[in-house]
Amino acid sequence: MIRAEDGDLADALTSLSLPDGALVFVANAAVSDGWTAVLDELTAAYELSQTAVRAGGPIVYLLESDDLLGRRGIGSAMVACGLLSAARTLALETARAGVPVNVLALGATTTRDSVRFWVESLCRPNGPNGELIRLGADHLGKALP
Amino acid sequence: MSARIQGAAIVTGAAGGIGLAICRRLAESGATVVAVDVADRLGATVADLESSGAAVIGVQADLTTESGLDAVLASLDRAAIALTTIVNNAGITRDARLVNMTAGDFRDVLEVNLGAAHRLIGLALPRFEHGTIVNISSRAYLGNFGQFNYSMSKGALVGLTRALALALAPAVRVNAVAPGLIGTEMSMAIPEEVREKMVSAIPLGRMGRPEEVAETVAFLASDDSAYITGEVITVGGGRSLSK
Repeated sequence: MIRAEDGDLADALTSLSLPDGALVFVANAAVSDGWTAVLDELTAAYELSQTAVRAGGPIVYLLESDDLLGRRGIGSAMVACGLLSAARTLALETARAGVPVNVLALGATTTRDSVRFWVESLCRPNGPNGELIRLGADHLGKALP
Repeated sequence: MSARIQGAAIVTGAAGGIGLAICRRLAESGATVVAVDVADRLGATVADLESSGAAVIGVQADLTTESGLDAVLASLDRAAIALTTIVNNAGITRDARLVNMTAGDFRDVLEVNLGAAHRLIGLALPRFEHGTIVNISSRAYLGNFGQFNYSMSKGALVGLTRALALALAPAVRVNAVAPGLIGTEMSMAIPEEVREKMVSAIPLGRMGRPEEVAETVAFLASDDSAYITGEVITVGGGRSLSK
């Protein structure tokens, strides 16, 4: 399952070969600062993640590196940091089954090929689990949430 | 004793163990405490604080509702005291593995732990010329088995902290505290054998005390931390590192 509001990114991800039941959840970069918008986005992540976990599929949350740092507004920061914490918790719950849950944070210059490479890598069983991979360079020297 | 804290300090979740300790500590620093909680026992909390000489205003309110938020702001208006501090401490747990978590339990935790803080800050900001916001996150934002909803809400609270720290600087500083296992009624309700196992994984060998969280909050709310914003301080006895 690919959940993406960004048409280009969705197109780039659709042709990937992913394990059965996999979820790639792209956080809506245009989420507003309003509470309803934030809750709707996090609820969508909850619902789709539960479906993936019940199917035994790996999960990758895609978000913007700037949002982990809180640079683009409170709504997108709440969603990004909330998804990171959710991934860390879910990784603990799925570790025994060898099903990975990871986060991929995109930078301003991240290419579609790079996204595809990392999404496939992060979905592999017995690979990284509970990890945050940050692409680009804007995050260098900055604090992880 | 840290630097004095002037004006009014809103503390949500005031009737719980950590909330009461925060109220007491901020009052000791000179703040007029606006103690907010949905629970009936708030009256006893206010009486306890008043008996120790604290300047306190009790507001029994549900912060997930507009009327509850309005009640908090109305109490500030009546008191005619400048708002300088907000401590978002209200929180609940509804634990389950994600495979079994109900939509209601997911939503309830997000609404109380995150939505109430988000909306209270939004409504209170126009009254804030300068001051500090301290959000009580949790060590669970680093991940905790069976707490998808709670962990997500506390992580999002860190995101809120970071974004507001950038948006409101230099007039308002925004930080978070992430308590680990603290000796409150909630943690004492955990079965003893489970609690002992949890404590055994804490390098400092004990649960934290509510007063230790409150001391960190007072530090972040005062000018003692005047050059700190956008940070998370974990009060967890080293549990973030141990097996």
